[in-house]
Amino acid sequence: MKKTRTLGALGAVMSLSLALAACSGGGGGSGEDETTGASGGTGDNSLTVWAWDPAFNIYALEEAEKVYQADHPDFTLEIVETPWEDVQTKLTTLAQSGETDQLPDIFLMQNNAFQKNVINYPDIFADFADSDVDFSEFPESVVSYSTYDDVNYGVPFDNGTAIGAYRTDLLEQAGYTVDDFTDITWDQFLTLGKDVLAKTGKPMLTGQAGSADTIMMMLQSAGASLFDDEGNPTITDNDALLAAIDMYGQLVDAGVFVEVNSWDEYINTIVNSNTAGIVNGIWISGSIQSAADQSGKWAVTNVPKLDGVDGATNYTANGGSSWAITPNGNEALATDFLNATFAGSTEFYDTILPASGALANWLPAGESDVYSEPQEFFGGQPIYADVLTFAAEVPSNNTGAYYYEGRDAVSVAITNILNGADPASALEEAQSTVEFAMG
Amino acid sequence: MSAPTAPTEDRASSAPPPGTKESPGSSKRVPLSAIARRRSLTGWSFIIPAAALIVLVNFWPMIQALFLSLQTGRGTRLTWAEPLWLNYQRLFEDETFRLTLSTTFIYLIIQVPIMLTIAMVLANLLNAPWLRWKGFWRTAIFLPCAVGLVSYALVFRQIFATDGLANDLLIKFGLLDANVNWLGQTGTARMVIILGLLWRWTGYNMIFFLAALQNIDRSTLEAARVDGANGFKTFWYVTMPQLKPIILLCAILSTNGTLQMFDESFNLTNGGPGNTTMTVSHYLYNVSFRNSPNFGYAAAISYAILIIVAILAAIQMKVGDKRD
Amino acid sequence: MTKTQLRRIPAYAFLSLAVFLSVFPLYFMAVSATNTSNEVVASKLLPGSHLLENFQTLVDSQPLGSALYHSSVNAIATTVLALILCSIAGYAFEIYHSRAKDAVMAILLLAIMIPFAATMIPLFRLFAQLGMVNSTFAVIVPLIATPFLILLFRQASRSFPHEIIEAARLDGLGEVSIFARIYLPTMKPTLAAAGVITFLFSWNNFLWPKVILVDNAYQTLPMLLSNMRAGYVTDYGSLMLAVFIVSVPTMVVFLALQRHFAEGVTGAIK
Repeated sequence: MKKTRTLGALGAVMSLSLALAACSGGGGGSGEDETTGASGGTGDNSLTVWAWDPAFNIYALEEAEKVYQADHPDFTLEIVETPWEDVQTKLTTLAQSGETDQLPDIFLMQNNAFQKNVINYPDIFADFADSDVDFSEFPESVVSYSTYDDVNYGVPFDNGTAIGAYRTDLLEQAGYTVDDFTDITWDQFLTLGKDVLAKTGKPMLTGQAGSADTIMMMLQSAGASLFDDEGNPTITDNDALLAAIDMYGQLVDAGVFVEVNSWDEYINTIVNSNTAGIVNGIWISGSIQSAADQSGKWAVTNVPKLDGVDGATNYTANGGSSWAITPNGNEALATDFLNATFAGSTEFYDTILPASGALANWLPAGESDVYSEPQEFFGGQPIYADVLTFAAEVPSNNTGAYYYEGRDAVSVAITNILNGADPASALEEAQSTVEFAMG
Repeated sequence: MSAPTAPTEDRASSAPPPGTKESPGSSKRVPLSAIARRRSLTGWSFIIPAAALIVLVNFWPMIQALFLSLQTGRGTRLTWAEPLWLNYQRLFEDETFRLTLSTTFIYLIIQVPIMLTIAMVLANLLNAPWLRWKGFWRTAIFLPCAVGLVSYALVFRQIFATDGLANDLLIKFGLLDANVNWLGQTGTARMVIILGLLWRWTGYNMIFFLAALQNIDRSTLEAARVDGANGFKTFWYVTMPQLKPIILLCAILSTNGTLQMFDESFNLTNGGPGNTTMTVSHYLYNVSFRNSPNFGYAAAISYAILIIVAILAAIQMKVGDKRD
Repeated sequence: MTKTQLRRIPAYAFLSLAVFLSVFPLYFMAVSATNTSNEVVASKLLPGSHLLENFQTLVDSQPLGSALYHSSVNAIATTVLALILCSIAGYAFEIYHSRAKDAVMAILLLAIMIPFAATMIPLFRLFAQLGMVNSTFAVIVPLIATPFLILLFRQASRSFPHEIIEAARLDGLGEVSIFARIYLPTMKPTLAAAGVITFLFSWNNFLWPKVILVDNAYQTLPMLLSNMRAGYVTDYGSLMLAVFIVSVPTMVVFLALQRHFAEGVTGAIK
């Protein structure tokens, strides 16, 4: 490598790029009319779908396909397994480059990311305004994730209702039952938790360090968010957030809540009996049940509520996802398919629940016998029916376009606060980070 | 181990040393400028496919990114910035950019010198005439490089988990009293990332150094020994100067790699705790794909990375020059 | 004699340590492939008996064969094309050397410094407009011409005696024949080195394939790995087996070519 040559080239390329730039004026924006081998819109009776979990949402799709095929024998689904991160990357790339004809007909989207995408990329969504889907059959808090400007853009699928799941055997050792943990406040939880820790040596909860999951669940349980109705960040002067962070700090300091570093370690604490309980979305029950030796030792109840915060409840949610449809020419079929299955088939939900633990958001599904069946793993408790009653109580939460910025900034603030930073100034910093990102 | 052209080396003895400016393209032995011109054209036609492709997949998108960097807005709703350099101005006010940039520099300043030093020591050991099982040592040390980025991040995360292997072993050997939360604290999490980089790339650089060592003119080493220089002196005053070009190349490539580093930050620590292990490229990814997408600003960040890499490369070449 | 041998002990100790540290994570990976998910998470260090079950789970849940096929096709095609394009360009930069070509080379080297995340979207738009989304072609094209490989070949060409070329010209050989029949056969080590580097890079390439392959029919192994971690529940035994399977071909390629690899790099580093 010749030094001087490369040095000179640095200057050369800068001027070259400028020169080329000058003579290639309107390079961007063209080409939407080019038709490429689209993966979506493959035919009259076929739909392409992006989803990511073979044991969960992909399995559900396969069952939905069978249900729909009963009335539409020619119908087929082409399911493209795509992890959520990749769904987001691909959607962004397609939308940003204007190549929307590469979109699938249906894709699954995390509820937290829904508004961000609808607001930034309206072109990749078709709405359900003229459809037969009855959104009143879903809990309002869930529908609100995929609603923007009073228009529905998503059919809710995966239920994210939060549960408090506890190890009855460990509670018993400390002299408690799951009833002692039902309808309580976080203050009471802390007191009970210290006692359980002293008597069993196990923390009550674990969670991922640097993840704002628990804080966000506490926030939503009081109907609070990081943004107001106009979408402005409300990280400072947010009583619910302050109370949640304060409580979280106390739980961690007392050792009642143990932070681990990764998702794997988190699951590990459950599987290896290193925690007496878990507070998370109902979907965590799949991971809990992977520890077959713990069958019969778990019970499910609602989550603690914040003390001294207006509107605090014992109900909240974490995660969950909804189906979106794209304006690819197959909207009618896609809508009808979703309406006949995810928004209209008890038979369908009865099939997928026992096999995959995919709990419906569609309320009529809860009336079926399958939902009230006692679950052996949870000591004979009919947890799915119980959770559906929680679901109806969950307060709505504002996500907006900057949800991830807000959430990440709060995560950083929590880490700093746990390391001794002053909460007020850490939150001010978070607020200004979000304001900067929005600016 | 012989150089690739050894069999024909002696035939070239009357020619000017290879690699000097006197190459046949401009050779005086060709009388007709027409032939010279045709050869030059042949040369270009050999170069153009690769060069055109590089322009197409690297420079052309980068030029588009330049335009993008002068626009603001989210998603596809972009407008020309006011003033045009607004996104570049924004860089100086962005705390997260500052944090990720300084983190990236910490990786660079600690990891690259350590890696190159270890690689140099290993290369010298492997080059020692008395060493046995050379192939074994070389292969084993290079192997990590064959492992994919996603794979090695997974393995390292498992090893440095709080209840993971690193803690188990260190406690067993009495080096630690209690589990260390490696990935949960800024200092140790950065250290794990640096260890990961060292693990994966030291062998790669070692191969380059080893190759350069094998090319060193033995007579210069003999001369030094006759003059009574000891092993270290010989290495420092005779070997090192001859290795300078390759050290420079490895340093520039490593600097470039570190500044563009994404996978380790993304897969190993996910930027945590509190964004303190996040690299600039990871931040660039977040601005584009995780946050409300701000591609104008992302393009400005990418130009910042490009300019920093170019400046560092220029400095390294300058420093490399001075020691001549 | 014994004294010098004694002095060599630290050297062997240091090498042993380096080898241990290098190989240990690989050992952990291999052992984990034979254990159950819970055993992997508990960092079990002894081989288990769950290998077949892990393999069954892997094959049942993922299109392993198809991904293996596509990864191989991509990596091999990339490597072959890269070797052809870059060797001929590197050769030309040296043999038909001129100031203008030097300048072009220097500019091309700048491409190494361009962060991929920045070029990804314009690049995607480019391929979409050419109608090449979802093709092997689109996956490999951005990788086949790299300034680094051209540099490698240019440096290696410096030690190639120009007299041979002159002699061949006098014998009436065309320029392409000289390159293909006389020059290339002497470049085996450099080809091996460049081949290993390209193969490694292509095999492990992740971000670009995942963006350009909208359809999963062309899915590659790194994409398959990332799919395996996408669900609510991850089976670490079969994941580690997949990680192992993904790593083996690159190791085999390196082992097969390693002697030439070192030589090839040597040729380039004069």
